[in-house]
Amino acid sequence: MIRFLFLGLIRDKSRSVVPVLVVAVGVMLSVFVHAYITGFMNDSIEMNARFSNGHVKVVTKAYADNISQMPIDLALLGTGELTTELQSVFPDMTWVERIQFGGLVDVPDENGETKAQGPVMGMALDIIQNNSGEIQRLNLAKSVVQGRLPQQANEILISDLFAQKLEVEPGDRVTFIGSTMYGAMSYYNFVVSGTVSFGATVLDQGSIIVDIHDARKALDMQDAASEILGFFGQGYYSDSEGIKTREKFREEFPVDADDEFAPAMMLFRDQGTMGSFVDLTGSMGAIITFIFIVAMSLVLWNAGLLGGLRRYGEIGVRLAMGEPKGHVYRTMLYESVMIGIMGSILGTAIGLFFAWLMQKYGIDIGSKMKGTAIMMPSVLKARITTVDYYIGFIPGLISTLIGTALAGIGIYKRKTSQLFKELDA
Amino acid sequence: MGNNHFTALKDVNLTFGKGEFAGLVGPSGSGKTTLLNIIGSLDTPSEGTAVVLGQSISKLNPRQAAKLRKENLGFIFQSYNLLAVHTVFENVEFPLLLLKYSASERKKMVMDALEWVGLTDKVKSKPPQLSGGECQRVAIARAMVKKPTLVLADEPTANLDAANSHKILQTMEKLNNELKTSFVFATHDEKVIKYLKRKIFLLDGKVDHEEWANNKN
Repeated sequence: MIRFLFLGLIRDKSRSVVPVLVVAVGVMLSVFVHAYITGFMNDSIEMNARFSNGHVKVVTKAYADNISQMPIDLALLGTGELTTELQSVFPDMTWVERIQFGGLVDVPDENGETKAQGPVMGMALDIIQNNSGEIQRLNLAKSVVQGRLPQQANEILISDLFAQKLEVEPGDRVTFIGSTMYGAMSYYNFVVSGTVSFGATVLDQGSIIVDIHDARKALDMQDAASEILGFFGQGYYSDSEGIKTREKFREEFPVDADDEFAPAMMLFRDQGTMGSFVDLTGSMGAIITFIFIVAMSLVLWNAGLLGGLRRYGEIGVRLAMGEPKGHVYRTMLYESVMIGIMGSILGTAIGLFFAWLMQKYGIDIGSKMKGTAIMMPSVLKARITTVDYYIGFIPGLISTLIGTALAGIGIYKRKTSQLFKELDA
Repeated sequence: MGNNHFTALKDVNLTFGKGEFAGLVGPSGSGKTTLLNIIGSLDTPSEGTAVVLGQSISKLNPRQAAKLRKENLGFIFQSYNLLAVHTVFENVEFPLLLLKYSASERKKMVMDALEWVGLTDKVKSKPPQLSGGECQRVAIARAMVKKPTLVLADEPTANLDAANSHKILQTMEKLNNELKTSFVFATHDEKVIKYLKRKIFLLDGKVDHEEWANNKN
């Protein structure tokens, strides 16, 4: 009997191939959309991580307590050695030194008098040597609006809106006025090599990007950095990975509890409102995925229902031959389980393949994002998680089964003779 | 719709004996298919009693009705109702699968049944590859393969031409004579009526009159 039913299933393409393909397409979309939404939400977190927070961040304990003020006087010392040690303890991670600082930018006229002036937020990173991939990490090359990236000492990038406000162009000389790490006044001349736009108001309205070696000279911070940012090798932030990393950091870098200049590690979620942001993106992703999965479930449920209904004729014959209703119903369910499993496996495999392509290569929408006022990733990428390996089975298997089960209820509700009439119709 | 009731059969009192070759004859809407469905335990009467092979149809639960059909009844339909994706052999084999015969028994019984209807050369064909007459002969083989006590045939020649109709009816008549299987037809086809040994004329759900052929047992 099983062979008979299996042969029927295999030979009747509308009972096997078509439903398997319908389920596979639905499952593929579910898996892909889930991976895409996970990736997109993750990229939003990643943007913040790359620009300012890192996946983890090593700072002094005192700096951590006052992090919103970016106090360079509480910066880490001996960061060259510390970074090397971090790299050796966490070889799968990337560690970069950064200095966040504030001050004024003064634009002189041809006589050396102030032509324009404005408060500025500075970010110092390894641009010229680019040993740590900071240019790629911040997508600096593609963010240049005018001019070019700094190629030699004392060149800086200035945010495009800020440059327009100060009427500064590439090649112009500007003076940074601030305070050194030790509290002294600092005047340092830079040449604007280019203007940049990141699509984020906070960055575009008044910031400069400086090579870290120049910043150290300007702020008297030799072998110091306000922060050392760590990025996980997996390419995205996760709380569990962060906690593991922090535990290992505490083991490997034991410090005097009273030493406020001792290095301490902060996770991404520990910084400002990033914890809420992580939770929010997680819930948003879950809600969007849930809505999509429900929609896809309804489609496949309906497909299962229609698949069952169109077989009332065949069922009528089988009942007339004396096959019990319960047996007919069970075989329909077994078939739908087989269809659901095959479709789900196929759809999951295809969905994961496309998600993998999207994860590896992404879609560059940078050219379409010029002038946008929100901070979002310029390359849309998916992210495959464990959930993607089974989430497709919800619409693929369960909904198909429910659809068939509902269609099969008609077998019990209809008289056998009525099924016969439908057979003759 | 709603509470409107339609009386398909009324005051019908009939008895069929073993080996009969009888037919319910009448125009559309006369109730012959309804009566055939009741005899075949596909339907139950809202009033009255139908006893088939000693079992009251009204009192059978679905499982018992299925058992009655599986073991004792064969069905032949106007539109053949073969399973299109299965071969002739598999279609005829299906009732035997339900009865859990062994593979070797099934093979012998199916080939016997196909020999009765002259289709042993079509075992691997599928219904769409057969003519209407051949399809109906497969349906007869399927109905007869388990050697049921009673075969119910609802307009079995409606989709066939005259030559095929006669061939089909001769086959059924032969099986009736050789295997003593009872046949009850529902028909208004003159070609079928000619073959019937007992003709029960229905009109508006009632038995109008009965006729017996000269060779009545």
